Amino acid sequence: MSKPSLIALNRRGFLAAGAAAAGTVSMPWVAGAQAKVVKVGFPTILSGRVAQLGTSSRNAAQMEVEKVNAAGGLAGRPIELVIRDTKGQPQEAARVARELVNSDGCEMLIDAEASTGAFAVHEVARDLGILCIHTNSETSSLTADPKLRLPNAFRCARQGIHDSVVGGSYAAEIANAKNLTRWATCSPDYAYGRDTTGEFVMYLKRFAPKVEVISEAWPKIFQPDYTESITKLLQAKPQALYSCLWGGDLTSFIDQAAIYALFTQMQFYAVNMADYTALTVVKNLPAGIHSGNRYIKTFPATPQNAAWGDAYRAKYGEYPTNWAWQNGLVINFLAEAAKKANSADGKKMADALRGLTIASPLGADGTVTMRAEDQTIIGYAVGWGTTIPKEPYVPEMKSVPWQRILELEAEWKKDKGFT
Amino acid sequence: MKRPALRDGLIGLAAFLILAALPLLTTSSALVDFVIRCAALGLFATSLNLLVGYGGMVSFGHGLFFGMGAYSFGIIMQRTGMPIPLAILLTLGVAAIVALAVGAICVRLKEIYFAFVTLAFQMLVHSMIIAWVPVTGGDQGLRGGIPRPSFLGINLADQKQLYLFSAALLVLGLMAMRHIVSSPFGYTLRLVRDNPARAGFLGIDVYRTRLTAFVLAGVFASLGGVLMSLFVSGAYPEFAFWTMSGEAVFIVMLGGTVAFLGPMVGTVLLLLLNDFVTRVAEHHGLVLGTVILLFALGLRKGLLDFVMDWRAARRTRAQAGADRPPGPNTIAGTDKMERVAT
Repeated sequence: MSKPSLIALNRRGFLAAGAAAAGTVSMPWVAGAQAKVVKVGFPTILSGRVAQLGTSSRNAAQMEVEKVNAAGGLAGRPIELVIRDTKGQPQEAARVARELVNSDGCEMLIDAEASTGAFAVHEVARDLGILCIHTNSETSSLTADPKLRLPNAFRCARQGIHDSVVGGSYAAEIANAKNLTRWATCSPDYAYGRDTTGEFVMYLKRFAPKVEVISEAWPKIFQPDYTESITKLLQAKPQALYSCLWGGDLTSFIDQAAIYALFTQMQFYAVNMADYTALTVVKNLPAGIHSGNRYIKTFPATPQNAAWGDAYRAKYGEYPTNWAWQNGLVINFLAEAAKKANSADGKKMADALRGLTIASPLGADGTVTMRAEDQTIIGYAVGWGTTIPKEPYVPEMKSVPWQRILELEAEWKKDKGFT
Repeated sequence: MKRPALRDGLIGLAAFLILAALPLLTTSSALVDFVIRCAALGLFATSLNLLVGYGGMVSFGHGLFFGMGAYSFGIIMQRTGMPIPLAILLTLGVAAIVALAVGAICVRLKEIYFAFVTLAFQMLVHSMIIAWVPVTGGDQGLRGGIPRPSFLGINLADQKQLYLFSAALLVLGLMAMRHIVSSPFGYTLRLVRDNPARAGFLGIDVYRTRLTAFVLAGVFASLGGVLMSLFVSGAYPEFAFWTMSGEAVFIVMLGGTVAFLGPMVGTVLLLLLNDFVTRVAEHHGLVLGTVILLFALGLRKGLLDFVMDWRAARRTRAQAGADRPPGPNTIAGTDKMERVAT
C-alpha cells in the first residue's frame, strides 16, 4: 500500500528535486550574470518640444550598446542602459541623475541632456564623483572653463566654438569672393543663440574685414511667428543672413520667409540646417542654403559613415540626428576605454579616456580624440556646404583642417581667460 | 491659545523625530532625496496655501519667490561665502522686501486681476534672470556649484546632514505657518477672505492684512527655494518660471486647501506620482493629467479635504443614527457642505 505511493512520490520528488537542484545550481550563475551587468544611467529629454532629439539619442546609444555587448561588453561585462526622461527641467535632471546612481545602481552616467540640464547633472557628478559623459550640451564653457572642470566629467559632443571657426572661415571665403559686405543675423534670444552668433560674426569679420552687420533680429526661442523678424530683415536689405535657429524654429522660419521670397534676395547661412530632422520637414526647401553639418550621412563621405546612417535608418525608420551620432560615439568611447583599462571601473576608465583616440565613421580623418587637457572631443567631422532640396541634400561639404581650428580655439580660450 | 501651540509643538517634534529616524531604518538614498525635495516643495506649496486657502488670493506668480530664494541664496554663497544660516536669513530678507514691493501693487486687486498681475511680476523676474547674465548666469543658470561651508559642525555637503537640516527647516517652517494661521492675525485673514467689506467696517485694515499675508507667504516660499538650490547645488531660470507656480497650484488642488497639511499631502502625492510614473511610462504627462482631472471632476476637492469631509459626514451620520433613523436629507446635506479653511 505504501510502496506504490512511495514510488509515485519518488518520481515526482525526483523531478521536483531535480528542478530545485538545477535552480540552486544555476542560481549563482544567474545572480553572477546580473551582477556582471554594467548599468549606465542615461537621463535625456523624452517629452516636450525636443523629445525627437532625446529619442534619437536613446536609439543611437542602444544600437551601439547591442554591438558592444555582442563583442563582450565593457571588460566582459554587458552594458545595460537605464534610460529616464528629465522633461528638460534641470531640477528633474539632477533628481533623476542622483536616483540613477543611488537607487538604480548605475556605475556611470551618459548625460544626454540639453545645456541647462547638463550643468545640473555636472553638479551631481561633482557630488557623487561618478564617471559622467555629457553628450548633447554644445555650450563651450562646460569643458573650457577651468572653474567647472571635474576629473570625472567628459564631453562627447560638438561645441559652439568649433562650429563658429569653421562657419566663419567658410562664410568669409564666399564673402570675399562675391563681395558680400552687408550682413544681418537672426538668431534665438538665449545664451546659445547670442554666443554662437557672436562667435560666428567675430570669425567672419576677422577673415573678411570688410563685412559689417547692419541688422540683428532676436526672436524668442520657440516663437511661432517670425513675420516681425522677416520684415525687419527685408527692410534692411542685407546681402547675406546668418541664423542659428534650430529644429522646429528654423523650419518655421524658412517656411514663413519663403512666402516673402526672402531667400531670393539674400544668401542664407543657417548653421543648423543640414540635419535630417530639419531638411525633411521644410515643405519647399530653397536650394543654396549654406549650412554647417549636424549629422549627414554623406559627410564625411566614407562608406562607413553611410553604412552607419543606413543601419540606423533600417532599425528606426528615420535618419540619425546630431544628438544621435554623439550618443552612438560615446558608447564606442566607453568600449575602447574599458578595453584600454581592462576594467569597467569608472575611475580607471576615466584615466583611460583622457587622450584616447578611437576609430569612428564620424571622425574627420576616421578617428575622434578625447582631448586630455579639457576632456572634450576633437577631430570629429565639422564642415559647411550648400543644400539642395533632395537627397543627398548637401552634395559637397567644405571643412577647415583641425590643426587650424585648434589654433583659433586656443586663442579664443585665452581671450576668455580660460587658459 | 497656549495649549494648541503646545500640541502643535509636540506634533512637530514627533514629526521631526520620525523623519530623523527614517534613515536609520533604510539605507535608500532615494528616500533621503525624496524627503529633501518634499521639504522644498512642501514649504513652497504650503506658503501658497496661506494665500489661496486662508487669504482667498489665488496667486499664479508664487514661483517668483521660490526662484528668488534659490537665486539669492546661490549668489550670496558663491560671491561672499558667508555662513549658511546668515545667508538664509539674508535671502529671507531679500524675499520679504521683494514681496513687499510686489504685494503693495498686487493685493489691491481682486481675483483674476490679482492672479494675472502676480503672473506678470513673475515673468518680469524670470526675464531679468535670463537677461542679467553676469550675475545670474542667464538661461544656463547659476553654474559651478553652491559652496556649502560647515557651520556649527553641520556639513551640508553630506547628503545625510542636508536631509536632517531640510527636515528640521520643513518642520520649523510648517510650525511657524501653523502658528500664523491659528493666531489672531490668521483669523483676521480669514475674515478678510470671507467678507472684506465687513472686515473694513469692523476697523480692520484689509490692505495691510492682505499685504502681510503676501509677504509672509513670499518669505516661506523663498525658504523652499533655498532648500531646492541646496539639493541641486545650483539655481535655474525654471525655478522662477510660471510652470513652477503652476506646480504649486497643482499640489494645492491635489492635497486640498482646507486642512493645513493639505498642500503637504499634495506634495508627497505629486512627487510619488511623478517619480513612479516617469519611471514606468513614457507618456507620463497623460497619466498626471488624468489624475488631476479625476481630482477636479471626481472628488471636486483635494485628497485631505475629501478624507476630512468623509469623516465628518460619517460622524454626522452616526450621530443622526443615534438620534433617529437616518434620512436621505442628512447625507445629502453633509455632502453638499462647502468647506473652507477654518
